[in-house]
Amino acid sequence: MAAPWLWLLPLCTGIAAAAAPPPPPDAEVTFVLPAGRRECFYQSAPANASLEAEYQVIGGAGLDVDFSLESPSGRLLVSESRRSDGVHTVEPTEPGDYRLCFDNSFSTISEKLVFFELIFDSAQEEEEEEEEEEEEEGDAWVEAAEPEDTLDIKIEDIKESIETMRGRLERSIQMQALLRAFEARDRNLQESNLGRVTFWSAFNVGLLLLVAFLQVYTLKSLFEDRRPLRT
Amino acid sequence: LYFHSGEREEKCIIEDVPSDTLVIGNYKVQRWDIHKQDFLESAPGLGMFVTVTTPSAEILLSKLYGPQGTFSFTSYLPGEHIICLQSNSTRLVAFAGSKLRIHLDIRVGEHFLDESAVQAKDKVNEVNLRLEHIIEQIHHVSKEQNYEREREEKFRKTSEETNSNILWWAIVQTLILISVGIWQIKSLRDFFISKKLV
Repeated sequence: MAAPWLWLLPLCTGIAAAAAPPPPPDAEVTFVLPAGRRECFYQSAPANASLEAEYQVIGGAGLDVDFSLESPSGRLLVSESRRSDGVHTVEPTEPGDYRLCFDNSFSTISEKLVFFELIFDSAQEEEEEEEEEEEEEGDAWVEAAEPEDTLDIKIEDIKESIETMRGRLERSIQMQALLRAFEARDRNLQESNLGRVTFWSAFNVGLLLLVAFLQVYTLKSLFEDRRPLRT
Repeated sequence: LYFHSGEREEKCIIEDVPSDTLVIGNYKVQRWDIHKQDFLESAPGLGMFVTVTTPSAEILLSKLYGPQGTFSFTSYLPGEHIICLQSNSTRLVAFAGSKLRIHLDIRVGEHFLDESAVQAKDKVNEVNLRLEHIIEQIHHVSKEQNYEREREEKFRKTSEETNSNILWWAIVQTLILISVGIWQIKSLRDFFISKKLV
């Protein structure tokens, strides 16, 4: 009598959780963009999610690149020219493939080292949690009756906390990746500074000495006795 | 995530990882079909060379995989590892319009969590698997933090070296300038005196 209904309740929570497809895994890519080239990356997105694209130029003279983001329907959402970093959020997303392009055509000799990150947030997660909370309040009297259902509900709780933790860890990992990109850029810049300082200082000293000797020699040679010796 | 590449082109991704870190890559490659004007769902006979280079320019992994595959390696040294993918297509480059679509997913420090396999298991095992995955992620975060600390120290050393280099070279240049100036004047004065012009 009451038993069939009890079985249905945990089943409903299970179905609600499985209905929404999991958001695609977050991607983080560092690559070399050769001079004068344009590289595009595509990422498929589910409907009604939020996509965050973050990029950073971490190496290469000038530290800048052109960036563009197109929606699956071909609409140009973002177009930036010669920027060294940027953050863009698209919410809600159309289902389909988004296209990110990095353009280094304006530079003929220097290649760029570019880092970018794509972060997905499923907007539906919050709605699901509310649904499950409502159903669990109604389950309070069920816990007293069926120990097997209690186990299911407790496991659902554990799974929820694990899912929250996983989401937060993913976010930490993304933040780490971003901070790492900042640090890599500054470190590359500083290492090239050191090289340049040493090289140009040595060059300067060499040039100084060369010019000094040249001056004295030229002056002395102006007063040289050119008259041939007469025998 | 996917991107396009020419048939014989090599595409590389750089991953900066700490030492003793597992890096797993999952890829799928599709070939463009001129007749259908679309990418073929599967490309039999097409293989990809996967090459992984360590920061010390050694080859860590160099294998030929099929059109779809998973590769993994564990880093011994901390630093920038370069993962390169190149198809083994022997067709001539002159074949215009041929390109490849490469789907790529790289995970650092953690295994892929196959949602369907996890959900197929019973409740307790599912929770087990999820917990193990989280523990892997936490370890990875902790390792990355340590690595970041090392690199920040290296960065600070480089900055301080640059700073002291600038100061040192400036002093040396000034001293050389003064001493060369004095030498020039003395040398010319002696010269003119010997030539009886002064």
